[in-house]
Amino acid sequence: MTHHNPKILGFLCNWCCYTAADSAGVGRYQYPPNLRVIRMMCTGRLDPSFPLEGLAGGADAIFVGGCHPGECHYIDGNYHALVSAALVHEIMERLGVSRDRFLIDWASAAEGPNFVKIITAFTQKITEIGPLGQAEDKNGADLRLELANAAEAARSRKLRIGLINASKEMMKSRHFTRPVVAGLVRDKCAKTLDTLFDKGIAAA
Amino acid sequence: MNAARTNNSATTSGAVMVIGGGVAGVQTALDLTELGYKVYLVEKSAAIGGVMARLDKTFPTNDCSLCILAPKLVEAGRDPNITIITLAELEDLSGEPGRFTARIRKKPRYIDEEVCTGCGQCTLYCLKQIGNDFNENLENSHAAHIDFSQAVPTSYHIDAKSCLRLNHDTCGLCAVACRAGAIRFDEKEKMLDIAVGAVVLAPGFGRVSDEVMAKYGLGRFKDVVTAFEHERLMCASGPTGGEILRISDKKHPKKIAFLQCIGSRDETCDNNYCSSVCCMYAIKQATLAREHDPDCEITLFYMDIRTHGKGFDAARQRAIKENNFRVIYARPPKVENVIDGGLLLTWSSEDGRHHYEKFDLVVLSQGLEAPHGAEQLAAASGIELNEYLFAATANFTPLATSRPGVYVIGAFQGPKDIPDSVTQAGGAAALCAGQLAPARASETIKATFPKERDIEGEEPRVGVFVCHCGINIGGVVNVPAVADYAGTLPHVVYSSRNLYSCSQDAQKMLVDTIHEHKLNRLVVAACTPRTHEPLFQATMREAGLNRSLFEMANIRDQCSWVHMHEPEAATEKAKDAVRMAVAKACHLTALAEQQLPVTPGALVVGAGLAGLTAALAIADQGFGVTLVERSKDLGGKALLLSADRYGNKPGKSMTEVVQRINKHKKIKVLTNAHVTAVSGYVGNFSTSVTTARGTEVINHGVTVLATGGTPYQPSQYLYGQSARVLTQLDLEKRLGTGKPLPRSTRQVVMIQCVGSRGEDLSYCSRVCCGQALKNAIRLKALAPDLRITILYRDIRAYGFMEDDYRQARKLGIIFSRYDIGNKPEVALGKGRNSPLTVKYFDHLLGDSVEIACEMLVLSTGIVPEDPTDLAKILKVPVTADKFLLEAHVKLQPVDLPVDGTFVCGLAHSPRSMDETIAQAQAAAGRACQPLARGFVTPAPIVSQINPETCIGCGACESFCPYKAITIYKNGKQRKARTITASCKGCGVCAARCPTLAIDMGRFTYDGIMAQIHAFGEQK
Repeated sequence: MTHHNPKILGFLCNWCCYTAADSAGVGRYQYPPNLRVIRMMCTGRLDPSFPLEGLAGGADAIFVGGCHPGECHYIDGNYHALVSAALVHEIMERLGVSRDRFLIDWASAAEGPNFVKIITAFTQKITEIGPLGQAEDKNGADLRLELANAAEAARSRKLRIGLINASKEMMKSRHFTRPVVAGLVRDKCAKTLDTLFDKGIAAA
Repeated sequence: MNAARTNNSATTSGAVMVIGGGVAGVQTALDLTELGYKVYLVEKSAAIGGVMARLDKTFPTNDCSLCILAPKLVEAGRDPNITIITLAELEDLSGEPGRFTARIRKKPRYIDEEVCTGCGQCTLYCLKQIGNDFNENLENSHAAHIDFSQAVPTSYHIDAKSCLRLNHDTCGLCAVACRAGAIRFDEKEKMLDIAVGAVVLAPGFGRVSDEVMAKYGLGRFKDVVTAFEHERLMCASGPTGGEILRISDKKHPKKIAFLQCIGSRDETCDNNYCSSVCCMYAIKQATLAREHDPDCEITLFYMDIRTHGKGFDAARQRAIKENNFRVIYARPPKVENVIDGGLLLTWSSEDGRHHYEKFDLVVLSQGLEAPHGAEQLAAASGIELNEYLFAATANFTPLATSRPGVYVIGAFQGPKDIPDSVTQAGGAAALCAGQLAPARASETIKATFPKERDIEGEEPRVGVFVCHCGINIGGVVNVPAVADYAGTLPHVVYSSRNLYSCSQDAQKMLVDTIHEHKLNRLVVAACTPRTHEPLFQATMREAGLNRSLFEMANIRDQCSWVHMHEPEAATEKAKDAVRMAVAKACHLTALAEQQLPVTPGALVVGAGLAGLTAALAIADQGFGVTLVERSKDLGGKALLLSADRYGNKPGKSMTEVVQRINKHKKIKVLTNAHVTAVSGYVGNFSTSVTTARGTEVINHGVTVLATGGTPYQPSQYLYGQSARVLTQLDLEKRLGTGKPLPRSTRQVVMIQCVGSRGEDLSYCSRVCCGQALKNAIRLKALAPDLRITILYRDIRAYGFMEDDYRQARKLGIIFSRYDIGNKPEVALGKGRNSPLTVKYFDHLLGDSVEIACEMLVLSTGIVPEDPTDLAKILKVPVTADKFLLEAHVKLQPVDLPVDGTFVCGLAHSPRSMDETIAQAQAAAGRACQPLARGFVTPAPIVSQINPETCIGCGACESFCPYKAITIYKNGKQRKARTITASCKGCGVCAARCPTLAIDMGRFTYDGIMAQIHAFGEQK
């Protein structure tokens, strides 16, 4: 394998992960230069179409960084981010894109070194699995087209209503673990996704 | 609490004079205008900024010093309520608190500040060369000059002592060259009489004389430099452009030695005290020397390593380990030269052996002295000085001088670092505001901005400014290439670069450029929006642009600093960041500002010394305070101390404070009370406090956390197993009874750092060394024949506490240093009543020593009360050591990152009583700013709902954590609406809206998409 220099797009929340990234700089902790950052006030802002659009547009991987569970500056925005993330993972899986290409993780404002650890490990991982398509054994360009269609689907009312229902149930049950949230999203979005994929999201 | 009281508003002045424009003076001036007072900022030199402006970086974060200071200087220069008077000194202070008349002697600048455009033609044409004082005379400047390019005021001036025209009536070329016609050779010295209500002295510190440093070869050997010179050599804007070069041969030194305690802890020059900052700055300078040259050998010579501040020990450890420094516990007495060049140091190590070695460069870590002219200033202001010519203050009123209405902050109050100076600045502002409360806002005016230009319908015209940040960015990222690249991006009509984009002259340039090129969006590629966005947004307002039309690309904290060894990759990353920022900027729109009223009261959590002090300082300013205490009594842990190092009884002072609290009409005390829930935002918090009587909801504008700490409980060294083993606090208690020692006590041993500095507690608790010294001296006073041995790792008797250390040694107390790897061992004696045996390694003997002692005293640290629950409720971050994490360790030391929330006392970090008081007063001062202003203007990043596409499903309403969205009926249709005042801009509603009908201010869907697509263009 030739040396691969992955392109990684990050969505960092202003209060925790973005601050952690700044404090990593202030402390001169070094990490691989692959990440490009989009600052958001909260990971709760993460629209499911953002990561998909990022992958479609040329990213080899997407990172979403927020506050630790229970420590969201806006109370529970990062839980909603988990819902969006679950849909992204679900779609990636259906498209046959490696789950590893999308990571949502946490670092508090005081955790510059932790941020560095996360980004270093993630960059290494993505370097190992190679450019989009390689680990998937598929044509990268085709995959990106499918991802663009998936991003479009993530903007559709039907799929978003599925997410609303998943979010509602998560908030009601107050179970915020990743498997539980993923299960909820799978549940609420399965039908719409089935239809979409039956119609052939790939072919569109 | 130490505010002089005046209640006659008719005659009380609403103005304060601040003497000294260093970081402390500037900070107190800014704090005072925010609190509603007019400030006269009197600076001896031609520009504000003080020593901090001359520093390259700051410990422990190695943040760029000028970068974090410059926004404050610019803000002070802009503030219509701050009058900066340069080249001026206090001549006399008459009158009484509230009604002083300050007489100021103002020397001429010979260049009219109002007219000077800062073009620099005068310097270019000036024939007279003089040393560049700002660069420690390591290069030349001219008689007509500006001290440094970011100077505020941004105006040149003429050195009266050397100007050819002023002294010999020749030349005068500058007057010809000056297109603005600003040269005023006939300007005369002026005396100004200014009416003020209070005075804050912040003249900073003085330098150790060259005579003292001559012992170490300064002046004789070119390659012996002072730390101040070394600082300038490291700095990108310094005489060598940021290269550490030997003065003699302009070569990179390969072997550097740092000598500590130069002019400090030194009886031969009467500077007996410790300067409190040199250990830290030497580690910083050594770290930067390593950054400059990875192969250089670096040695630090210490007596004790005094890194006692918050996080300092960890930073020191990391620096020493990562940079491979050699640390030697020794004090080389002199520097000699050797025939083949190089500098010879000799020293004796702890085992008594002699060593010698050659070095290429010797850096003298010079201490801080009382400021030059301290005696004149004291005479002019009518205050008393201590024996070292620093301002005399008392332990319970650390910021009050001997004259009511005159306060002292910064190094003049005693040697101290930047965070402590900034803290004191906030404290003094609070005290002035308390003293002058009746006259608040009587002499201030409102800042006005030009009318905002309507850019509706205009094509985006983006200006991009790429910052070198000295060498912070420019040393890694190819800044010219990034600026050129920016110029090629769509909609960018102008791109350029600055050495420091945050400097005052750069702001002026930004405004001019915005006008000239009719820019309607601004992108600055520099540090982080978290610290610098407000500065640039204020500049946009000055240029008549809405502040929401701004975007920053973070190419320092998240680029040059984290990819220091990959300049090419960092440059590519910077280009990508700029492209993404420009893409987003094109989608920015002007957003309406909102003003929200403030509930004029504070909630203070914790009623120890910090909480009580903060509550009083807030209430004295006229705002209501609810003081919530978990236990049934007020007073906290200060009551465990039976005397301070001056012999005062803290209990007595605490009783007085508690009495004032109980009597104060503005303070409501709730004991046995717990905070159970908090909602709202700065200006409008609602907090549920639960007591035995039930739960009460308190509405308040700001919150001060003073949740305190508790003594570490040791299990080491037989504590709890033998009655002979005490902690220092146990001993304090016994000393309070007057009979501390069992009869027949002949030997006492004290062990320092029990459980601290890498044991159960990773940090240094700062106060234990002083407490041990104090208690040992107290014991010696009671029993002069008593033998006392103190086993320590470093004696951290910083500041004037060094006096105690010296006295203890004079009293015959024995000090022996131990290493963490070779701790003392303690064993029970054979019989029931026999003494303990303590075994420790004596460096001088090179062997273990065993002594019997009747009493063993353990110096244990401070553990913060676990703030986790409260921190979660309030959304404030906590460090790994469970202290609350401040917004900025240097310049916002008592602000928490959540607006309107502040911290003081042991919840912040371990500190002494006087430090706690100053810090609590600072928290009070900062907390009162929104209360005094009366309104807050939250960032307009709120959600906006498009009623055309909204289907009224109500998902947004159900997910909004702040109930900031309601559903209303529009005819038969349901629609959602944002309650702007309650919205905090998280964007959950937008991410869940099924029809994408909701968008966020500045973080719009299209804007983020544009960023994503711009990312995709990455090569």
